[in-house]
Amino acid sequence: MFTLVFTSLLLAACSGPYSTLDPAGPSATSAAWLWWGMFGFATVVLIVITLLWLYAMRRDPGEVDQRDAQRVQNRWVIGGGVVLPLASITLLLAFGIPAGHNMLPLPLEDGEPARIEVTGHQWWWEVHYPDTGVTLRNEIRMPAGVPVDFVVRSEDVIHSFWIPRLGGKLDMIPGHTGVLRLQADEPGTYHGQCAEFCGVAHAHMRFTVEALPPEEFQAWLEAQQDD
Amino acid sequence: MIAPTHPMQLVVGLILWSVWFVALYGGLSVGCAVAPPAEELGAANWLNLSLLVLTAVTLLPLLYWTRLCWRAGLSSQPGSTDRFIALVSSGVHLITAIATLAIGLTVLTLPPCV
Amino acid sequence: MTEPGPRSAEQIHREFHQVWRNLPGLGTLSAVNHTSLGLRFMVTGAIFFLIGGLLAMLVRTQLALPEQDIISPDLYNQIFTMHGTVMMFLFAIPILEGLAIYLIPKMIGARDLAFPRITSLGYYCYLFGGLIIFSSLVLGMAPDSGWFMYTPLSSAEFAPGPGSDFWLLGVTFVEISAVAAGVELTVSILRSRTNGMSLRQMPIYCWYILAMALMIVFGFPPLILASILLELERAAGMPFFEVAGGGDPILWQHLFWLFGHPEVYIIFLPAAGIVSTLIPVFSGRPIVGYRWIVLSIILTGFISFGLWVHHMFTVGIPQLAQAFFSVASMLVAVPTGIQLFAWLATLWTGRVVFNLPMLWIVGFLIIFVCGGLTGVMLALVPFNWQVHDTHFVVAHMHYVLVGGMFFPLIAGFYYWLPHFSGRMPSDVLGRWGFWLTFIGFNTTFLLMHLTGLLGMPRRVYTYEAGLGWDWLNLLSSVGGFIMAAGVAMIIVDVLLHFRFGRKAPQNPWNADTLDWATATPPTTYNFASLPTCSTRHPLWENPELPRTIEQGEHGLTEISHGRRETWGSEAVTGKVTAIFHLPTNSWLPLCAAASLAVVCISLLVRVYELSIVGAVLAAVFLLRWSWENGAHPAMAPPSAEESTRDLPLHSRTHDGPGLWGMVITLMANGALYMSLLFAWFYLWTVSPEWSIPDQQPLLMLPLLASGILLTVSALDFRRITRHLKAGRDSGLQAAFWRIALIGTLHVGLLIWVIAGSSLAPTELAHDAVLLFMLIYQLFHSGLAVILTALQARRVHYGYVSRHYPYEPVVVAPFWLYTTGVFWLGFAAFILLPMSWGGAA
Ligand code: HEM
Ligand SMILES: [Cu+2]
Ligand SMILES: [Cu+2]
Repeated sequence: MFTLVFTSLLLAACSGPYSTLDPAGPSATSAAWLWWGMFGFATVVLIVITLLWLYAMRRDPGEVDQRDAQRVQNRWVIGGGVVLPLASITLLLAFGIPAGHNMLPLPLEDGEPARIEVTGHQWWWEVHYPDTGVTLRNEIRMPAGVPVDFVVRSEDVIHSFWIPRLGGKLDMIPGHTGVLRLQADEPGTYHGQCAEFCGVAHAHMRFTVEALPPEEFQAWLEAQQDD
Repeated sequence: MIAPTHPMQLVVGLILWSVWFVALYGGLSVGCAVAPPAEELGAANWLNLSLLVLTAVTLLPLLYWTRLCWRAGLSSQPGSTDRFIALVSSGVHLITAIATLAIGLTVLTLPPCV
Repeated sequence: MTEPGPRSAEQIHREFHQVWRNLPGLGTLSAVNHTSLGLRFMVTGAIFFLIGGLLAMLVRTQLALPEQDIISPDLYNQIFTMHGTVMMFLFAIPILEGLAIYLIPKMIGARDLAFPRITSLGYYCYLFGGLIIFSSLVLGMAPDSGWFMYTPLSSAEFAPGPGSDFWLLGVTFVEISAVAAGVELTVSILRSRTNGMSLRQMPIYCWYILAMALMIVFGFPPLILASILLELERAAGMPFFEVAGGGDPILWQHLFWLFGHPEVYIIFLPAAGIVSTLIPVFSGRPIVGYRWIVLSIILTGFISFGLWVHHMFTVGIPQLAQAFFSVASMLVAVPTGIQLFAWLATLWTGRVVFNLPMLWIVGFLIIFVCGGLTGVMLALVPFNWQVHDTHFVVAHMHYVLVGGMFFPLIAGFYYWLPHFSGRMPSDVLGRWGFWLTFIGFNTTFLLMHLTGLLGMPRRVYTYEAGLGWDWLNLLSSVGGFIMAAGVAMIIVDVLLHFRFGRKAPQNPWNADTLDWATATPPTTYNFASLPTCSTRHPLWENPELPRTIEQGEHGLTEISHGRRETWGSEAVTGKVTAIFHLPTNSWLPLCAAASLAVVCISLLVRVYELSIVGAVLAAVFLLRWSWENGAHPAMAPPSAEESTRDLPLHSRTHDGPGLWGMVITLMANGALYMSLLFAWFYLWTVSPEWSIPDQQPLLMLPLLASGILLTVSALDFRRITRHLKAGRDSGLQAAFWRIALIGTLHVGLLIWVIAGSSLAPTELAHDAVLLFMLIYQLFHSGLAVILTALQARRVHYGYVSRHYPYEPVVVAPFWLYTTGVFWLGFAAFILLPMSWGGAA
């Protein structure tokens, strides 16, 4: 019962239109899982180290000769200072590298991902569907359930393209083109914002994402082209 | 050759590490700018392989120095500055070697230019 | 003349004080003494901390509730930019430098730092730079692009006001101060330890400061270069970072973080040094794992230079490259872990006194470990992509900065308070201060991790209600004010202690290091006599030391010559080899810094004529300063008494501190040049619109000829100094004139090359870099010529000869460097592109 209440409270606290802890796509999901894993591990480490430390301050060492000190040193310094970090890093990378690999815009097994071009301006987003002439402003429509490559650029200063519930961010840098692969698992409305400070209206530089079932998306795109 | 008890031992390994690190990052960047391997190859391509070889070559002197300094340290007089420098250097070289290996092994896992 | 009979401690004090004291009244501004200047650094830093803190309170006020408009977005941007800038550049680094400047000579048993006038110059550069930066806020035109000033947001097009200029010029000014301190601390630690203090016996704090100092030497030049380039872009239109001209905004990020990441460790290391100093004292036993700690310091010093890209994981660098930096970032956990567990082992095996400084150390531990753990998380690329540039990062950064720097600083501050003032702090107020700060801090920042995870970006001046961020921000703001109350409590405690504090006994904490062998507060000369020290714990092994030092029972007690002196020793063994004679009070550093401030301000208001005047004035003061050296009457004129002593004055040798200072300065300079080379190769390979002019824009023949003349001069200079060292000085003056003349020809040719070239520095980044390189060369060549001409004059006055070979030995590496840079530049900027791109 308590666990249930606690979990639902936690879930409520973690939800939100921009919450990375309320993931709605594969990239965001794996990042969220990485977070929970690291959070648990780090909490344990922090508590153990703090308790050890407080205990070390209180305990009566008795008579410590040179040899004892050497033994304690080897135990703590090599165990805690070398082995613990190296083991933790290995563990972390064992999960982290595959997770990172899966977020890359690598060629798909079958077919091509949809491409949407987004250009950052002070302080709005220009969204363009290549080969269609369709352009939107501060609003993105994308097919749900399939990977989409966002091709990002900037017209003026550096911005950063971020839809927290779908995945990580990518900076939009003048002169450079970046590709960010995201996927919305379910149709729905998502929210995005600029994550790199870009001037006076940075706080207001937001957009909405409408994920549609692929057929609907296709239909919408064609309808737009006909106009 | 620097003597294993020379104070420069404290930093030579890390200087080599720095040069290797620059070569690793610089080599990757230039490699990707000049002749990027096909994305389909994943991590199995000439660029990653060269970086791996570079790492292996860097490891050799680091491990050699670790051993050299360790022995020199143990055989010098307890409580002497020589011993201090040699033992600290040996530890620095060893951890530098571990760092080199850990960073270098990532070339086995990821494609180079994406 | 030595006085008859032993002198009383009283008498010794009077005689030493006469020589070492600062001038009275306003004359104190000419002080060069490290104790005075260390304290001034710290007090100035503390004031800037309060200003920075006030700005933070404004930020928290604005963010306390959603959709507030107490502060306009424009002002908010200035406020957070200034908060970050003030905290990083005007508080954290200077205050730690100040502490090191105050402590290092005392810990190594010296009377002052190796270059006292540099200490003073450094202080004034810091003060004036700080005032210039701060004035922008008062004038309402503060920089507003964030403390890392990303271009193009900070460039002329998007930040047309003077805000960015304030930042670039002011910060560069302050960085000169940091580099000066870096050079000076390095040389002092390596060359002025008391007799017998080998590297192995240095107090551990000295290792930390040595590492910090060297990291400054290599870490600050990239930002100095970047700032100069950006200022040139803004003021003169040279497109280093502008895509259209062939530049690249990402270059700024590389250069900034090449500095910025090491900077974090430059801040952490000295603070960790405080922790490593306090823990053994309060555990009543030597630190466990001294060697392990030295090892971690060295590792941290290097590895932290291989992490900078972790601030740039979202710019779109290939993921494999990101993985290198990701793993390297995680690996710093190893040296940090080693230190942490060495501290733990010390506590484990010691009998711990749990008093106020230790309370702050415990606070440090908890907060810093937490910050370190989130740091490892941030190093994981796929997670970083989510939380980068959110309040998660703000939380992490404050956990490491406040936990890793502020808490140890306060611990150390309480620990050394009796040293500064001779009085003990109060326990009650101090504990209130601690708990308020600790609770307030965690309330503010622990929750902020969640704010970030819920998607709140950093640097937003407001946010919508109902996004799940409201209560978190409110609590953060409440916590911020609790923390402010804690800081206020500490200030009250300190102010009251000056009046009500118990008088401190000698060595109140029963510490082991020589800093507690001075009087409290210390005398201007620290030690009346310099003890031989061949142990890591001099005061534990010989508690009588303070008394015997005061009574003049150790070395270097002569003072009748009226010079300030301390021992000069060998870098590794600490065996004394010479006597360093140190300059006395001087106005030159203040005048030089003031002239530089004129340059800085006139560049700000773009009155370039005035900046030339300022630069010339600064050069005059600095050259005058270099003139009052060695055997000059104002420094150490030849005297009969010196031949009766068993150690030579350093200006009579050819291995004095000046040579070391020169070499380390050249390392900093070399780091700047390497950054320029990096910029060149970076732009060449990566910049999207890089283009090379169709024709080689430089006159090749004159350039080559000029290089040959330069090489001839440098080799000639080298030959002369060799002769000098071997004791031959015939024709010395003529030789220096000859070298100066050939050097002048070289400079003339170089000017011809620059004037006659067809460079278009405002159109092409390629040409802009070339021009910068040429002017850099011209500056060095010109300086080498001037210094050589001055040497010739000094031979004439008898300040330089085979008895006084010191100065040419100092100038020689400068010639070598200038020549090296010329040919390196020739190869990298001219030959390589030619062979690469055909007839470029
Ligand atoms: C007195 C308690 C402090 C509070 C309440 C505080 C608060 C804040 C807040 C809220 C921000 C985020 C501004 C934003 O992104 O919109 C910030 C940024 C920052 N703080 Fe603090 N801070 C404090 C102390 C410090 C200290 C001691 C340091 C350094 C030693 C520091 C260094 C920074 C830096 C570098 C930034 C980044 C500025 C930027 O984004 O350009 N802060 N601080
Ligand atoms: Cu923005
Ligand atoms: Cu960093």
